Amino acid sequence: MLKKYIEIYRECIKISISTAMTYRFNFILDNFIMLVSNTLFPLVTLLIYGSGAEFPNWSLYEVLLIQAVFTMSTGVANIFFSGVLWATMRHIIEGSLEIALIKPVNCLFFLIASTVEFSSLSLFLGGGVMFAIALSHIGPVSILMVLQFLVLFMSGVCVMMGISLIMAATSFKWVGNSRLPEIFDSIKYFGRYPQNIFHKTISGFTSFIIPVAMIGYFPAAALLGEANGTAFIAILPCFVFTMGGIFLFRHMIRLYEGVGG
Amino acid sequence: MAIIDVRNLTKTYYTYRRGSSFSDTIKSFFRRERTCVNAVHNVSFQVDEGQITGILGPNGAGKSTTIKMLTGTLYPTSGHISVMGYTPFRDRNTYVNHIGAVFGQKSQLVWDIPPVDSFQMNKAIYSIPEKEYRNTLKELIGMFELEDIIEKPTRVLSLGERMKCEFVMAMLHKPKIVFLDEPTIGLDVIAKQKIRSFIREMNRQGVTFILTTHDLEDVEQLARKVIIINHGQKVFDDTLQKLKMNLGAKKIIRLVLAKPVAEIKLEGIKVIDRNSDFEYTLEVNLENSSINEIIKRLSEMCEFSDISIKELPMEKIITEIYKTTV
Repeated sequence: MLKKYIEIYRECIKISISTAMTYRFNFILDNFIMLVSNTLFPLVTLLIYGSGAEFPNWSLYEVLLIQAVFTMSTGVANIFFSGVLWATMRHIIEGSLEIALIKPVNCLFFLIASTVEFSSLSLFLGGGVMFAIALSHIGPVSILMVLQFLVLFMSGVCVMMGISLIMAATSFKWVGNSRLPEIFDSIKYFGRYPQNIFHKTISGFTSFIIPVAMIGYFPAAALLGEANGTAFIAILPCFVFTMGGIFLFRHMIRLYEGVGG
Repeated sequence: MAIIDVRNLTKTYYTYRRGSSFSDTIKSFFRRERTCVNAVHNVSFQVDEGQITGILGPNGAGKSTTIKMLTGTLYPTSGHISVMGYTPFRDRNTYVNHIGAVFGQKSQLVWDIPPVDSFQMNKAIYSIPEKEYRNTLKELIGMFELEDIIEKPTRVLSLGERMKCEFVMAMLHKPKIVFLDEPTIGLDVIAKQKIRSFIREMNRQGVTFILTTHDLEDVEQLARKVIIINHGQKVFDDTLQKLKMNLGAKKIIRLVLAKPVAEIKLEGIKVIDRNSDFEYTLEVNLENSSINEIIKRLSEMCEFSDISIKELPMEKIITEIYKTTV
């Protein structure tokens, strides 16, 4: 069974790459725009610190590290599963989910696999470059810190996956909820700042209610040796979001009604 | 032996009624009237193995909803469905391994890449062994003469070529039952004939087909059994022959007269069209007289230079059934 799913995923990646290669200029432009629009923000941070202002108790490279992790997480999410939201919405509006449902595979897996999108590759790589630069300006990083970083980074990716699935699931009932992702994006941006600059209520919200701090701040804090209990407790809501998203999506498929033939 | 058993199948869903005027649209923003739609209501039927069954009905009758429930992609509100011993909506993941589906208005092919790449995807999805895949693909593309087509991007193919590729996609894993939802919609005569020949050939090899269509020629050329659904309810379920006899034993006679006559009036004959004083189309009832007697009586009454006898058009039979079930 696992072999079959790996094979399907491999075919989906091949199709995604083939499609990207068909429209080469669009692929290059997509990557360029994605890179520029998402790396402008760290440039603003550079300007802030260049003008003498700063986030209290945070050096330029520490803040850049948070934003680099945030950019990489967003890149991973965009490549591997953000497309499921738009694909689900399109299928609901057009009544074409049958095409996925008549395949003998998990429908959610198939939708995620068939929406792998490499136009955000530059985003991940750009984030990676920023990450390397920032990391080279901070103190030594131990293996334990790297392990903590990986666990927290994956938890951040899980939050985004859970939220994407929850938003996709709501589109079964709330057809055409295209502004919902924008609301989440606005909330998500809290994750790219040091959390101690916010009021405790806000940082509590971004750590435990909608744990967007896990997308950038917590994994970066692990590399800075500042991962505390809060960061590890926040893994729990990340897990809840992911499982909740999967459960809700699978439940909502039952409510699919299609459109007139 | 029944391969499909459907009993008391019902699908109800809720929708919101919104008026057509601008003020109604504004009102609906604040308050919407919820209405219940019985898309399929208490439908029962059986389909035997190896049969081609046509499901007919006007737009919005519930045909597609029925076929979607049979494929396991829609959950019924109530009722029992058994296909090859599976309950489609409950056993969907296992069940769909054994069925194929072609939706005339929805494509399984990936738009920007050649169909052969989409076929590869189905090979992975259905875990088709390499050798079997190559053999089946070769056979299918040979039947449809698609050798030069399958490596071109799907977006540059004609509708007929795309539909043939959809059939290849649906048949690669050798399904036992294939559901076709309006498979010939929008196709030209040649493409339709090719697809019908393909369906017949596959049926000869033992594949059961369930077909919804508006094209009565599809039904006449393919189906042995016909189910008619109207307003979500089954109104006919029998053989094609029985359907043709539904309005009685009638035939259509087209006459071209050598000399004009004032009127054609005979028992059991109804003039349904008159193009000129020379051209008549008659509907004859054969319940009390044979076609031989009718022609004899006609030849006594008038002199004709040409005559053709046809079956009652399916359109007329179907239209009458639709009208009686409104």
